[in-house]
This record gives sequence, C-alpha cells and structure tokens, in this order.
Amino acid sequence: MNEGAYVQKLFGIPFNLSNDIPGLIAAVIVFFLLFWLSRSIQLRPTKRQNIIEWIIDFTNGIIKGVMPDEEGKKFGLLAFTLFVFIFISNQLGLMAQLTANGTSYISSPTSNAMTTLSLAFMVLMLAHFLGVKKFGFKGYFKNTYLSPIPFLLPLSVLEEFTNFLTLALRLYGNIYSGEVLLKLIYKFATSFGVASFIPAIPLELIWQGFSVFIGSIQAYVFVTLTMVYISQKVEKE
Amino acid sequence: MSSTFLLGAANGVQWGDTIFYLVLFIVLMALLKHFAWGPVSEMMEKRADKISGDLDSAEEARKKAEDLAAQRQTALKDSHSEASKIIDRAKKNGEQQKVTIVSDAQEKAQTLKMNAKEDISRERQDALDSVKNDVAELSIEIASKIIRKDLNADDQKALIDTYIEGLGKQNEAK
Repeated sequence: MNEGAYVQKLFGIPFNLSNDIPGLIAAVIVFFLLFWLSRSIQLRPTKRQNIIEWIIDFTNGIIKGVMPDEEGKKFGLLAFTLFVFIFISNQLGLMAQLTANGTSYISSPTSNAMTTLSLAFMVLMLAHFLGVKKFGFKGYFKNTYLSPIPFLLPLSVLEEFTNFLTLALRLYGNIYSGEVLLKLIYKFATSFGVASFIPAIPLELIWQGFSVFIGSIQAYVFVTLTMVYISQKVEKE
Repeated sequence: MSSTFLLGAANGVQWGDTIFYLVLFIVLMALLKHFAWGPVSEMMEKRADKISGDLDSAEEARKKAEDLAAQRQTALKDSHSEASKIIDRAKKNGEQQKVTIVSDAQEKAQTLKMNAKEDISRERQDALDSVKNDVAELSIEIASKIIRKDLNADDQKALIDTYIEGLGKQNEAK
C-alpha cells in the first residue's frame, strides 16, 4: 500500500501527499458537484434539485432507521457529507489512477488505511464525545461499558477498539483490493501486447462496474455503522 | 510491501494525514452546510410544512362546504314550510273575508229592504192622509153645493168618517 508514497514533512509532521492530494480532489469534486446540484432551489424541485434531495432523503433514511427523529435530525449533515465524500472517494480511483516515477498522485483516498482510520477515528470520537455530553461521564461509562451486565466490561472495552478497526478496515480493504485487482488486470493487459490487451478490456470493464457497486455499498455501510455507533452512545440501552 | 505492516511504511506513520483529513472533512462539511445542505433541507422542510398546511386548509374548506350544504338544505326545508304556511294563511284570510263580505251584503240587503218597507209605509200613510183631506174638502164642497145649507159640523164629520171608512174597507179588500 505504501509503494509510491510521497512523504513530505511540514512543521515536523509527516504528510503523505499521495494520500492527501486525492482526498483534496475528492473533496473539491464533492463540493462542486453538490454546489452545482443545489443552485436555484425551488419549492417545486427541478431536475438537479431532485437529485440532491434524493441523496438527502437517502441519508436521512439511514439515520431514521437507527435512531428517533428528534435525535437524528442533528446528524443529517454529518451522514450526508460522510456518504457523499466516501462515495466519491471510492469512485475516484476507478476513474483515474495516476502514478509517475513510482509516486502515486491520484487514486481512491479510501484505498489508504490512513484515510479510513482517520474517518473512523473522527466519527467514533464524536460518538464518545456526544455520549459524555449527554449523560455526563458517569452515565456515559455506565451506559457504554456496564450495561447490560457489568462483568462484560473487558469485552465492552475491547469492542470499542474492534468497532474502530472494523469500521475503518472494512472500507479500506474493499476499496484497496478493488484497486489492486484493477492494477493487476492492467498489468495483464500490457504484458502480452494485443493478445492480452483485447481480452483485458471486458475484464477491466466488469471489475470496474463491480467496484462501483462495492464502493456504493461500502459508503452506505460506513454511514449506517457510524450512525449505529453514535446511537449506541447517545441512547440508553 | 514485505517490510511494511498495516500502517507503517518504511519511513513511519504519516500521521499528518489524519489531521489533514479531519480538517478537510470539517471544512467540506461547513461548506456543504452553507451552500448545499442548508438551503436544500430548509426548502424540503418548507415543502413539508406547506403540504401539511395545504392538507389542513383543504380539510377546512371541505368542512365549510359541508356546513354550507347543510345550511342550504335546512333553508330549503324551511322555505317549503314557510310557503305552505303562507298559503294556509292566505286561504284562511280569504275564507274570513268571504264570510264577512257575505254577511255585510246580507246586512246591507236587510237594511235596504227595511228602509224600502219603511218608505213604502210612510208614503202610503202620506197618501192616505192627503186623500183624507182632499176627500173631506171635496165632500164639503159637494155637500154645500148640493144641499146649499149649512150643515151642522158634527153631522158633517160623522158623514165624512163613514165615507172614509167605506174607502178604507174598499182599500183593504183590494
């Protein structure tokens, strides 16, 4: 995963630019796409507005499935941004892969574990923070680790780590493996000239289509699990 | 690849990425809230409010229409009974008027008849009186002419009375 890493140090902090650039690109794409979709908002939705409203309805539906309405309203923006950003990130590597001089500049940001771990870390910290904010530290501790049965405390603590790791690595693994196979098919296409280039085209096509599907599913799963973890923290079991 | 663990590259963990993604995500979220999410979800809410408001007002309008229809129905029924009442009253009035007119006419006829009778009897009396006088004068003249002598007043009167009685009897016999 780290072949082609382009590490730069800024104020002594190491930044992997081959991970940060695609993240920035994905964010810019997300912003301009949604900015374009949300122009000329009307009471009677037009074509573009219908698309963005469909996305909002979809993410709101995810939230509605795991927590009550008045609680879930606060997380609409989070779920919306998370879903669109991860979705676009997953698809970015399918459309463009740029590697120059052994350094990768464009790929899916989510095919790097650092990205997914950062996102998972962010939402789980948010979940814990909201839990503490709502119940106080004592209530949060009781709600999270001592219920339903106190002697499961070690398992509960362990579960918090596994939640974090599975949330991040599920997304990372799916997207990373998809990109690896894409690259392998590309290698196969260029290894035997025309004889392998032509059969590789449908193969790549099929795998890209499947990766689009996987990317969508993974974005949905990530947002759903995020909301489930948040609801576990902010609701009494 | 073989020298790298899950996170660690040959040159350590690029933990700057975490900061980068946190900042990136928060900035993206803020921008989306201002430009996309905010206006769109506000509009969606407005639409939901409008739809529920429209439903409410439609319900209200339906109720109002129903009330109006009921009112019209009762008014129609009332007007029916009113009309029949008016007709009844007119009929009764007519009847009463008929009765009074007839009785008035009868009364009038009665009085007219009475008056006529009275007139007739008075006229007859007058006629009788004048005839009495005429006859008395005439007979005196005749008698004086015939007898040429003064009659005793009493005798003359008796003579006339008998004469008139005879006239009266003749008249009654007629």
